[in-house]
Amino acid sequence: MNLPDFFIADLPADAIVTPGLITSACEALKRNRKQHLKSRTTREIIHLLCEVGKEWRSPANPFRCHALRLDPEMTGFSRPILERGLEDFFAGFTSENWSALIARQLGGAGCLDAFTNQASNHTASPASVGPGRSQILALGPELMVHFAAGNLPIPAFMGICLGLILRSAQFIKCSSKASVLPRLFAHSIHALDPKIGSCIEIAAWPGGDAALETPLLDEADCVTMTGSDEAVNSIRMRMPAQARFLAHGHRVGFGYISREMLGAGSVNEMVSRVADDVTAWDQNGCLSPQVVYVEERGEVESDQFAGRVAMELGRRETLEPRGPISPEEAAAIVSRRAIAEALALHRADVKIWSSPKSTAWTVVFEHDVRYQGCPLNRFLLIKPVSGLEDVFRGMDGVRRHISSVGIGASPTQSADLALALARWGVPRICPIGRMQKPPLDWHQDGRPTLADMVSWSGFEAE
Amino acid sequence: MFSKLTQFAGHLDQAMVSGFDSDHFDLLALELFRLQWELNPAWQKLCRSRGVHPQSVSNWREIPCVPTAVFKLMDFSCLPEQGHCRVFHSSGTTGQTPGRHRHSSQSLALYEQSAWLWFKHNWGDVQDMIVLLPPPSLAPHSSLAHMIETIRCRENRTSDCFKGRVDGAGVWRVDWEPVIEELQQAAARGKPLDLFGTAFLYVHLLDELEARKLSLKLPAGSKAMETGGYKNRSREMPKAELHAWMGRRLGLLPGQIICEYGMSELSSQAYGRNGDSLKKADRLLRLPPWARVRVVSPENGEEVAPGETGLIQIFDLANAFSVMAIQTEDLGVWQDLDSCGLCGFELLGRSAKAEPRGCSLMTP
Repeated sequence: MNLPDFFIADLPADAIVTPGLITSACEALKRNRKQHLKSRTTREIIHLLCEVGKEWRSPANPFRCHALRLDPEMTGFSRPILERGLEDFFAGFTSENWSALIARQLGGAGCLDAFTNQASNHTASPASVGPGRSQILALGPELMVHFAAGNLPIPAFMGICLGLILRSAQFIKCSSKASVLPRLFAHSIHALDPKIGSCIEIAAWPGGDAALETPLLDEADCVTMTGSDEAVNSIRMRMPAQARFLAHGHRVGFGYISREMLGAGSVNEMVSRVADDVTAWDQNGCLSPQVVYVEERGEVESDQFAGRVAMELGRRETLEPRGPISPEEAAAIVSRRAIAEALALHRADVKIWSSPKSTAWTVVFEHDVRYQGCPLNRFLLIKPVSGLEDVFRGMDGVRRHISSVGIGASPTQSADLALALARWGVPRICPIGRMQKPPLDWHQDGRPTLADMVSWSGFEAE
Repeated sequence: MFSKLTQFAGHLDQAMVSGFDSDHFDLLALELFRLQWELNPAWQKLCRSRGVHPQSVSNWREIPCVPTAVFKLMDFSCLPEQGHCRVFHSSGTTGQTPGRHRHSSQSLALYEQSAWLWFKHNWGDVQDMIVLLPPPSLAPHSSLAHMIETIRCRENRTSDCFKGRVDGAGVWRVDWEPVIEELQQAAARGKPLDLFGTAFLYVHLLDELEARKLSLKLPAGSKAMETGGYKNRSREMPKAELHAWMGRRLGLLPGQIICEYGMSELSSQAYGRNGDSLKKADRLLRLPPWARVRVVSPENGEEVAPGETGLIQIFDLANAFSVMAIQTEDLGVWQDLDSCGLCGFELLGRSAKAEPRGCSLMTP
């Protein structure tokens, strides 16, 4: 499939991106937005997003086919993992979900189209607003810039969708070797609505290039970013004062399995769900579990549970293999395995299971509840606990970095666990097995995504 | 059995001095493996878990390596529990448990012999020494400080060549004012000198020179040994960039900077020179003939082809009293330069520098 040269990232590999090119691209984006996007209605945009979602779930869609045919060296993921990740993401693209997102975060689906009474969620007639009350209109940024991180395509896709809902022109800066999926996504929008497609730009260069990033930041009204704390700080320091900066640093997710789910009737389901979460995006997403805490004294003991998860990860490797990783990533796994193997030789309370002759998957069972990092790429730590208190103690060092907790428990216990976890500071709690499938209206890092991006205009009638 | 090990060390010492015959490496490696297998219970256990016995190993490449990370957890020594006079610690981030390598007077003597002979082979004549490190009296667990001290003693230099100290938090510091003065005086006198330091100490020195707007021209014949990483003690920069900066601020030409690669878990070091203008053979890190390197794929443990990246494994006979086969956490590229009959490795740096591919917090 030959993609037309709509975006900077479509240019030949030897084309040089210059500061001048960035500035003129931003000017064109703003011009196009004014002409083609600014006056579109929320309904039209939601319709477009639903069409995009439908296309990406259709086996015949050329952009999806192209994405799935790509060499895993380019995408970072094996075909089955990419396919599952895309399927899970686009499955949520329904009109109800998009409307619910807007309603929940902005107060009403109409508030981006006309002055409304926020409380009633309906377009207001002046008569319905009494003295002392104002009608409000939500306005998206004129130009949004997204700094997308690494191989994981979902943050970039979601950023583009949110930007469209807000009728913003958007410039997506990808990392130098990971622009192909955002590019395909933008092309798929362009194919459905070329005018809206002209309000999106995709470019890629190695992060930290101030010569290119300074003119881009100067043009931006709102900048979103996913990346390491270091990368986030580097952009934060260069942000112009007038623009909004919404950063999402790297995060840790974990799982919690209650002993009541370790009985014969449910344990296999739990094992399978843990494997679903660990293999989704090869554990590279901020919602992926790095550790699973398992309550002791279940019908199946926690170390046996760990062994079963290891077997399941071995089985998944044949069905949904892990993507290629760098020598640095593999070396990090080797180093962590070495420590666990050495401990396991001398202590009965440490066990390790790992893929033979590869780093494809690793399960380490250890009693030490403390979180001590994770080299990712399907490296799971399973730790037995007596209850949530052990978990809080173990994760205390990264409490502010928790993204998501997946729980395996009965509905009643889940509700209690969720409340305790939320009060401890967890922004998202979901069933285990669904950690990488957040609803569209989830609060990333505990913040309302759309609400943080808009500005409000108030109208006080006579 | 221990007496056999002592005997082995004695023979090795003699062979190092009289000119080690590379053809004997394999035989000696297998002999040492057999001895260490008996005397080093932690290693024996690790080998057994991998299904390896002295009888099953037919050449040095098959000897299982101990990952350096594991030195933090257990003792890999053939020495009796109290039979040591010195313990070298791995330098890590503050707060982490360091890896430990115990030495007796005899193993230390072998360490010194190995370090000294290969240093001398690579360095040549030693000039006036300026060492940016603390002396061993202040840094008793630093194998690097001990190595430089060995050079100092054998070259009969005074101990005031050590310019570093250790602050209350255990961080190495240097009072730069007198050091810079000394460097200026040497430059003015035109007498060559030899500078020793770690990468992060050079960054600090160059920062100080930059702040003073000073560019020195160290006399022709001067040399600088650059070793070790950064350990979060200064900002990091690629080697070539650091060396170019050393060139600008200290007046050192590429051939005058000599890179040393060593670690507390080893008793031998590798040397190479840096600079694009140098021949590739001169830039490779090379070990003494009594040590060998393998570069293996971290993915499957197989030896990589020349030019490919992998984890560096070192087999060091001078580690007679601990464990001779070490798997480092450093990535390197194996180079086999057939045309000149030389082989060695290029160091890429710590594997812990993995770039995260997604938004999950990655902490190797």
